[in-house]
Amino acid sequence: MNKNNSKFDPITLEILWKRLVSIVDESDASVIRTAFSSLLRDAHDYTCMFTDSRGQELVQGTLCTPGQAGAMALGMKKIVNSIPLEDYNEGDVFIINDPWLLAGHLNDVCVWSPIFFKGRPVAFTACVFHHTDIGGRTASDNRDVYAEGLYIPLTKLYDAGRLNESLVNMIRWNVRTATEFDGDIRSQVAANHICSQKIIEMMEDEGLDTLDDLADEIIDRTEISMRKAIEKITDGTYAHSGIIEGAGNKPDIPIKLTVKVDGSNIHVDFDGTSQQVDWGVNVVYNFTYAYVFMAIKSAFDPGIPINEGAIRPISMTAPEGTIVNCTFPAAVAARMVVGHFMTEMVFNALAKAAPDNIIAGSGGTPAQTNIFHGSFANGKPWHTMIIRGGGMGASSRFDGHHCAIFPANGANTPVEILESDTTMIVESRSLIQDSGGPGKQRGGIGRQMVIRSPDDGDNSPGTTSIAVQAGRYIYPPDGIFGGKDGSKAKYLKNGKNADPSGLTFCDPGDRISFISAGGGGYGDPFERDPEAVERDVQYGYVSIKKAKQDYGVIIEPDSLKLDLTATLQLRENK
Amino acid sequence: MEQVTYRLGCDIGGTFTDFVLVNNITGEFHTNKCLTTPSDPSDAIEQGIRELAQILPGFMDNVEEIIHGTTLVINAIIERKGARTGLITTKGFRDILELGREKRYDAYDIFSEYPEPIVPRADRAEIDERLTFDGRVLKNVDTNEVLKVLEKFKKDGIESIAVCFINSYENSVNEKKIKEIIEKEAPELFLSTSFEVLPEIKEYERTCTTAVNAYVKPITFWYLNKLITRLGTIGFDGKFFIMLSSGGITSIETAKNFPVRIIESGPTAAVIASQHYGQMFNIADMFCFDMGGTTAKSCLIQDGHAGLVSTFEVGRVQRFQKGSGLPIQVPVVDLMEIGAGGGSIAKISSLGLLQVGPESAGADPGPACYKQGGDNPTVTDADLVLGYLDPDFFLGGTMALDIELSKKAIQEKIARPLGTTMVEAAFGIHDLINETMASAAKTHIAEKGGNPNIVTVSAFGGAGPVHTYGLAKKIGAGSILVPPLAGVGSALGFFTAPVAFDLSRSHRKVLDEADFKGIELLFNELEQESAKILEGAQSGDEIIFERTLLMRFVGQGAEIDLGIELKDFTMFSKDEIRTMFDEEYKRLYGRTSVESPVEFVTFKVRASLPKKPFSISKLSTQNRNLETCIKGERQAFSVIKKEYIPFTVYDRSKLFADAQFNGPAIIEERESTIVIGEDAKAKVDDYGFIWIKIVKSGGPIKSDIGQVGGYK
Repeated sequence: MNKNNSKFDPITLEILWKRLVSIVDESDASVIRTAFSSLLRDAHDYTCMFTDSRGQELVQGTLCTPGQAGAMALGMKKIVNSIPLEDYNEGDVFIINDPWLLAGHLNDVCVWSPIFFKGRPVAFTACVFHHTDIGGRTASDNRDVYAEGLYIPLTKLYDAGRLNESLVNMIRWNVRTATEFDGDIRSQVAANHICSQKIIEMMEDEGLDTLDDLADEIIDRTEISMRKAIEKITDGTYAHSGIIEGAGNKPDIPIKLTVKVDGSNIHVDFDGTSQQVDWGVNVVYNFTYAYVFMAIKSAFDPGIPINEGAIRPISMTAPEGTIVNCTFPAAVAARMVVGHFMTEMVFNALAKAAPDNIIAGSGGTPAQTNIFHGSFANGKPWHTMIIRGGGMGASSRFDGHHCAIFPANGANTPVEILESDTTMIVESRSLIQDSGGPGKQRGGIGRQMVIRSPDDGDNSPGTTSIAVQAGRYIYPPDGIFGGKDGSKAKYLKNGKNADPSGLTFCDPGDRISFISAGGGGYGDPFERDPEAVERDVQYGYVSIKKAKQDYGVIIEPDSLKLDLTATLQLRENK
Repeated sequence: MEQVTYRLGCDIGGTFTDFVLVNNITGEFHTNKCLTTPSDPSDAIEQGIRELAQILPGFMDNVEEIIHGTTLVINAIIERKGARTGLITTKGFRDILELGREKRYDAYDIFSEYPEPIVPRADRAEIDERLTFDGRVLKNVDTNEVLKVLEKFKKDGIESIAVCFINSYENSVNEKKIKEIIEKEAPELFLSTSFEVLPEIKEYERTCTTAVNAYVKPITFWYLNKLITRLGTIGFDGKFFIMLSSGGITSIETAKNFPVRIIESGPTAAVIASQHYGQMFNIADMFCFDMGGTTAKSCLIQDGHAGLVSTFEVGRVQRFQKGSGLPIQVPVVDLMEIGAGGGSIAKISSLGLLQVGPESAGADPGPACYKQGGDNPTVTDADLVLGYLDPDFFLGGTMALDIELSKKAIQEKIARPLGTTMVEAAFGIHDLINETMASAAKTHIAEKGGNPNIVTVSAFGGAGPVHTYGLAKKIGAGSILVPPLAGVGSALGFFTAPVAFDLSRSHRKVLDEADFKGIELLFNELEQESAKILEGAQSGDEIIFERTLLMRFVGQGAEIDLGIELKDFTMFSKDEIRTMFDEEYKRLYGRTSVESPVEFVTFKVRASLPKKPFSISKLSTQNRNLETCIKGERQAFSVIKKEYIPFTVYDRSKLFADAQFNGPAIIEERESTIVIGEDAKAKVDDYGFIWIKIVKSGGPIKSDIGQVGGYK
């Protein structure tokens, strides 16, 4: 660290840093205008970033998604350095979707370029977009990555400014939505182009010949901040074993990890974790790292910007061939079903050492995804995808938030949009009483959605098929420090348990319930403020019966008012 | 002699209530400013008018119109001081308000807080009714069920009711039915139905908007009634208009029914003023920049038109963090607001670097130099130390500032910990807040597809003209326009706003399957409804209608606006509409996809009355001696040389038409101060607008995303 011979005073540094962030945000904003598919424009499933000439991540977009962003910080360094600096040409644009080098599945395609200034590369700009379709068989039960779609190794999209038209043509013939794909790739090229232009402008304005000195300063300061945060955790080795349920008949997946805190370093090791499996939930090293990093950053230093400095203090090892460091050609399409759990696993390991920095288990881990295929009464097909959350885990400070996708992020599809896109009628979308794990701080409430295929006689729609990528049907989100578990997720057809692993068929008149899990509670529920329980009962979050049973709080059934004397008596005799 | 008549603009802000009185014949202005009176905002209005009457006795008898903007509604939402509201939804959906869109607004913050729903769960009731997405009735409203809900609401002390049923944007029959019942059985309760507030698709946004409307309806009703009565007692019998967030003005009746539409009335006015100047001077690309005490608001105005968006947020629990507030789905001028103002506090971040804003010292205690006990250094303190502000001429000298307190705060809180000199720290604060505003401006302009290098920046607000020069340099803009009365410019915008109202309705239909006759009927209904609203405001004038289609590719989540010619919709062919869509899409995004199907989502109508002429009086041509405009010289900080250099100080009120001078210069007026560096020159026009050209600024744009990527 070169704090003493710093080339930039703290004020100039902040101004230049701010300008760099604004450059990425400007190229990020251009995507909203230029991208074609709604997954990018509306759900913001993409990440823009750039590195210095050594491939060290310098800035990433403020609105990035955690999985892509964390994986890119590692991946781009490797990719950029795989080519000697002198071999880059001005006008080169590269394309790659190698899951092992980037964000863990084929749909995440990276387009990147060297930024040339005064005849030599001074930085690299890159963006990963989640493309809706990448060809292949769209399912989570493929046995290997070959079945999952088109695999693009490190390839030049432009060679010194000249488009590789054969490559573009080859891609077009391998995806279902060629126009969209094409448009989105162009949007990636444009986003990188804006980033390059603005960086060159800034270097001209500021009289800089290299970005590397500035990068050192920015990265070092970030590293110091992250290290300061980690130093506050008591040194030690903290272990945790968890189980992720297999879908349907698939066996459970044991995860084992130790988190070693040593001064300002954190090392996470996955020795003892399950071997990779023969369906699509295998996770590459980078994606595992991304959600391990998400845990450490969100728990200890959520405010700092992300760059090479933020990841330096956090290292990770995982034996090759395990489900968290799978080897080629493992199937990886549904990697979030396992990958999203990494954040919670790290929280659990660190719970004793940092009880105020973590949250209990969340119903939105993993993100609950459903893909629907059906047809209208006139035979025309429709398909749509939805993503659902669950109750978030409670923390020492707060009750869990109702219904969120965590540690990933996303939004629900409005009922009115869903109904006008499909033949389904949504009968309810509501919070579920008693689903939040009881605790001194209560877990977030889970929610249910009930859909029905209308039975309109001759005018009825065709059969709808539903695919599920979700979890928490067997193991509910854990409570912590005496807090109780949240409720389990359920998946019902006409009131009976249905199989979430394969396809479910829904005919006119059938009703499907998607019930997501509640968040885990934090601390002993008998210590919960009785007035908070009173409000929970008045709002219908908690039933009168459970208030008594789980919290030791007596609520008058008619007035819904707290009976404090009876409550204190009950709690005393616990 | 012609009878003198006036128009009065009156804008209630967080700290001050501003008044601008314009003489309709001569175009002359009178201004006044007094402290806002939060407990009853009409107190400040009466006081301000009485003060104006001391200068112009009896003017109220000749006031033709009062145009009013107020923060009353937004404050009631932020402070949660609205009425106890009951919400009625379709069975199965009472939790819509609480579930929201289920998005975490800050991906990395696991301790984020979320806004409490405006109606608590216990006050939300369900009715077993249902419509399909295309408006067919599956279940009717049962009167007995409604009566039971009303009985409970009355018992619980509900004052205002919101109704929002699933799919009611397609067919209002069930909401109309329940409205009938409520009006008959509980006429004493205020009522808002989603079909009337804004029948647009997406149930969470529509329910939230309707609930917020219900929440603030009683308070708006009582306030406006009281205000009108008070104005009557002091001689006013003209027309009274309220500024809408969409940039139009409307009648008091409409404001009472749809208070949710006047939430952003204040910030909008500066944009409307800019828009007017853009048209007046034929400026194609204008960037309106309004910097006050706590926030900076800006808006890109292209070809004399500010964009409208259909959703915005209020009451953010994390200030300035998108997604942490309540969505309001009504048309609103597309402005961007960030936490950067004169009161923004400077401190050292956890990274050991300087940080300015978004926290603000507000009006109390305010910047250190206000001598009210504030010891945090702010942007105003830095501006004072840098010589941009005159400690003895703040607010025209009515408020003396203490520069020593500024120096002390900057020295102790910033310079010492960072190991810099006090002056370096002061300039750092000034420069960093400019950088913050510039990066927000660049992102906003990029999102709208504009080019920051070719915009003219128009400056408003107390701190705006102090920082515009620095901002313009950072975004690479070469020209600045400082209109007269820039410090109270907002209220001036009121006079340039037309009487207008926007209505819309969602009706999703793929273009190929659409029934154009039905669409023509839908447009007709919207036009009749909006005409009724306008006639309530002012009858007699011919109404101008504009129609807009909101369309998109099937499956996309965001629509584009397609303004269409006003003619019978059946006269359009499907091919024509498709071609118009593709052309507009291409213009906005650089390409289109002719093989992908497109759909209609929402239909919009704007009804407006012709704008009233608004003229500004010309400057006197008597004085033509620049020397007499100079107040003196003072040392101020040069952005270029990074040291103090002498700036010439001008008195704006003495400047004449055609006056020209070069920077470094400072131009002082009562409500604000204009700073011009040594690489810029200023010119005053006939109307007193100051035009500033920065000689050396960023070159022409080098990026054109439309030309990137070579393949066809």
